[in-house]
Amino acid sequence: MARNAGGLVMHPELESIFRAQYPAVVAVARRVLRFEADAEDVAQEVFVSFARSAVPAAEARAWLTVAATHTALNVLRSRRRRVAREVSVAESQESPDAAVQVIEKAEQQRVRDALANLPHKQAVVLVLRYSGLSYADIAETTQLSPSSVGTTLRRAELALRKELSDDPSV
Amino acid sequence: MTHLSDGALRRHVDEPDGLPDVELDHLQHCERCSRALAQAQRDGMAVEAALLSKSDKDVDIDAAWDRLLSSLHSNARTVATVTVDRPSFRARVLKAPVLAASGALLVVGGATAAAANDWLPIFHTESITPVSVNLNDLTQLPDLSSFGRWDVKTDPKLVDVPDASAATSQTGLTVSTPTDLPTGVDGTPQFQVMQKQVATFAFSERKAAAAAHAAGGSLPPMPPGLDGAVLRLDLGPAVVQTWSQQGGAPTMIIGQVVAPSASSNGIPLATLRDALLSLPGLPDDVAAELRAATGDGTTLPLPVPADQYTTTSAEVSGTPATVLTSRDQTIAGVVWLDGGVVTIVAGPLDAQEVLSVADGLA
Repeated sequence: MARNAGGLVMHPELESIFRAQYPAVVAVARRVLRFEADAEDVAQEVFVSFARSAVPAAEARAWLTVAATHTALNVLRSRRRRVAREVSVAESQESPDAAVQVIEKAEQQRVRDALANLPHKQAVVLVLRYSGLSYADIAETTQLSPSSVGTTLRRAELALRKELSDDPSV
Repeated sequence: MTHLSDGALRRHVDEPDGLPDVELDHLQHCERCSRALAQAQRDGMAVEAALLSKSDKDVDIDAAWDRLLSSLHSNARTVATVTVDRPSFRARVLKAPVLAASGALLVVGGATAAAANDWLPIFHTESITPVSVNLNDLTQLPDLSSFGRWDVKTDPKLVDVPDASAATSQTGLTVSTPTDLPTGVDGTPQFQVMQKQVATFAFSERKAAAAAHAAGGSLPPMPPGLDGAVLRLDLGPAVVQTWSQQGGAPTMIIGQVVAPSASSNGIPLATLRDALLSLPGLPDDVAAELRAATGDGTTLPLPVPADQYTTTSAEVSGTPATVLTSRDQTIAGVVWLDGGVVTIVAGPLDAQEVLSVADGLA
């Protein structure tokens, strides 16, 4: 651990890792939460934890991806009900001209609702895989065997397609 | 050979080199597996499109960096959390919360007795009570290595043994076996044992002050006599029975462990507990719950991630028990204390199934 000019204890390679990985961490969270501001909030929270850790630089990308996934999924689940209420209120106030935007928002929201409805481990494996982690990395971080990663991922994809079965885009 | 599993086919979509040659050869000649592979490819593409992450603007890294520094400086004034000597990514991500919880909660797990020169029993488990925490709380718990020195005297690992009688002869525990198995659980379990574990923790006020100072905070006043106080923690031995699917995934686990106890050579455990609970880093509500739950020196707090599990009270053969059920309803477990032994039955089952197994243990 190193201390900066302000006397703050932080990861010795924090700034270089932050500058290299921040956009990717935001992208992981955005995949789950959709909204840029929410994704950046999650990324900030993840890097606050990382800053206080002694995670080796070589393991930083996987650590950050896993942390962003768990944090974003927790946010998604906790916000789901509130967002649903807000969408309902907004729909009642929209003019007909905004119908297309409302439909697009609703479809995006359905994807996030479906993601939030998945069993937690399936959702984690799904997000980690589509965030670019290898099966070996996913197995390492979820305590699954590599073959079980494939099984869990397949179940997650089938469950997600079932949840969205009447959505023509999927 | 048999057809390829869905998992193997799904992995082949992403990692074509991951299949053994014999499975690759089967795939090339099996129409059914080829169709399943094509379906997995289509499903994968559809889900990837649904989860597409795109933004119409680039992130402002400089602004984000300034925001992070501001957060770190702000948090440093209120959180004196320092992490040291963390061994690996796997251990940190997967085990750190569990270790932090078990280590810290064992130390704060109760107290009554006065100081003595010899090891003096100051905590023994007579009951178990769940304490609600969340994973963020656990990862914010102070790492006890920052406030003193841990010395684990033994090797905390599970060792395979051939059967129940071997487990009994190596641990002295009477192995409880189920009379009936739930649907989906069959076959013979794997038996593993862990020998009794002994660890000591020596509190260092100098180390704690340095940790707090390094994190930008300050150490609250510590009670006299705390510096150099040593605690001894005992746990086990233990026996674990694991039933698994053919592919290796556990379908049910029964664990038995001699309940933890603590002893001190120089200070009442209550003093150390209160000092630890006053350190920065532990949420006030969790500290208050721990203080209330562990006041009698005989109640072992069971940390339960409240955002992932619900707990209910039950009885196993007339003994009070705690049932844990994951919020997604995929995992359940029941834990109880009887005769100084903590027993847990858990698995991808429902609450009624684990209670039925627990009631039927012989």
